[in-house]
Amino acid sequence: MGGYGDVKLLRDDGKRLDGRTVDEMRPVSIEAGVLPAADGSAMVTHGLNVAVAAVYGPMEAHPRKIQRQDRAVIDVRYNMAPFSTGDRIRPGFNRRSREISKVTAEALESVVLVERYPRSKIRVEIEILAAEAGTRCVGITAAAVALADAGIPMRDMIVGVASGKIEDTVVLDLDKAEDNYGQADLPVGILPNTGEIAFLQMDGDLSIEEFNLAMEYNFKAASEIHELMVDALKRRYERGDN
Amino acid sequence: MVELVPTLLRQELERLAADDQRIDGRGQWDSRDVSLEVDCLYNAEGSAKVVWGDTIIYAGVKFEIRTPWPDRPTQGSLMCGAELRPVAHRKYEPGPPSPQSIELGRVVDRGIRESGCIDMEELCIVPGEKVWGVMIDIHVLSDGGNIFDAAGLAAIAALRTAVVPAERFDVGEDHKLKVNGSPIMASFTRAGGRFVYDPSEEEELGGDERIHITLGDEGHLHSLQKGLRGVFTPSEFAEILAVAEQKCTELREMVAEKEGN
Repeated sequence: MGGYGDVKLLRDDGKRLDGRTVDEMRPVSIEAGVLPAADGSAMVTHGLNVAVAAVYGPMEAHPRKIQRQDRAVIDVRYNMAPFSTGDRIRPGFNRRSREISKVTAEALESVVLVERYPRSKIRVEIEILAAEAGTRCVGITAAAVALADAGIPMRDMIVGVASGKIEDTVVLDLDKAEDNYGQADLPVGILPNTGEIAFLQMDGDLSIEEFNLAMEYNFKAASEIHELMVDALKRRYERGDN
Repeated sequence: MVELVPTLLRQELERLAADDQRIDGRGQWDSRDVSLEVDCLYNAEGSAKVVWGDTIIYAGVKFEIRTPWPDRPTQGSLMCGAELRPVAHRKYEPGPPSPQSIELGRVVDRGIRESGCIDMEELCIVPGEKVWGVMIDIHVLSDGGNIFDAAGLAAIAALRTAVVPAERFDVGEDHKLKVNGSPIMASFTRAGGRFVYDPSEEEELGGDERIHITLGDEGHLHSLQKGLRGVFTPSEFAEILAVAEQKCTELREMVAEKEGN
């Protein structure tokens, strides 16, 4: 969280700067099967964020030391394109992208039936082409659709959503300004059918009541996004190419 | 990842070539379908998406203010880099830039730089103190063959639609980047013993050397590159150069058309 409360983020009518209500998310659109070279893929636009995910595998896990005798490992790379942000990002991994990749992989391993593929590896590549706050959540949603598109069995989908706090008010789905000048950010990965949580991070300042409200918003958004994910996969199969 | 080159694929390509056919049914100099979209990414000052057969490539332009080189105090700079990220194909692995991605970035860079379409003097803000650095990043999302031509097309289309973000850096008003001309690349691979235009993934896998030709608006050569193992004759080169002239003109018209919208 950048500054605290020194920038006005709520209008006098209680709406946010972009006209959304406190519990309204940015527009989301999802397309499955967008990359011909991949075994499964998806593109998610969420507000001005654009994330593309590709899945390769299951394939042989190498180097051998990463193999698990009883399950597959999921190898996630979250990467921001050099032109995805205001100032150009130098290509390559940094501490932030390594951490996000690690916790995203662990979240996906919680929903994929990894025990079906012992000693193998499933590669998940998440590329952020345009970033406007909330990219890790958009990446998780894209990865879930790409895994389903690749035909990899999962116990549920996983949806990335975030709520936060601006001007002492809990709001759903922070945009860029709200993320920079807000007071808290709570990104989670929700299993929409079971209601379980497989991804959780938070930074800032939230009371228990505020946390509970933020979670309520997150669950509401997750079920909305889940419908779009299912719809994208149905359209993919109606289209019928490979 | 080691690529296995199936002997059967090589034999099939040879058999097809003898009948003047290609593995996907195209003629020797036919292109796959190409679509170009410009100004498609928030946060990039110029951007383009190229879908070329099964190949998908984005290019994004960013600007930075830097101190000019001491021996060229009134000149800005241009840099074009490419990333063959593991998202694009099974065969690509994470790690530092591979020789292939460096070659791709540099061949595209040379075509744009040497065509003179960017006047480095125009990128000067305060002589000796502040100049613009223009950075084109090529992001390959799906490698379905012939990434060179798709990357070159995405790069010049992104550049031609770029807006210099002067207001953000407090050095004047935002303005369109001045680009004089559209250098365009045409690539050929030897498949089944003869050259073909716009090689598919299979033709690259089962083929031999490749040649990349970048032509400017006047039809002049601005960059050439021969890659991979193999040799060719001057008469073969003359033949593909004639094809390149026609292909580059068509693609240049496509860029101009998108820019007009």
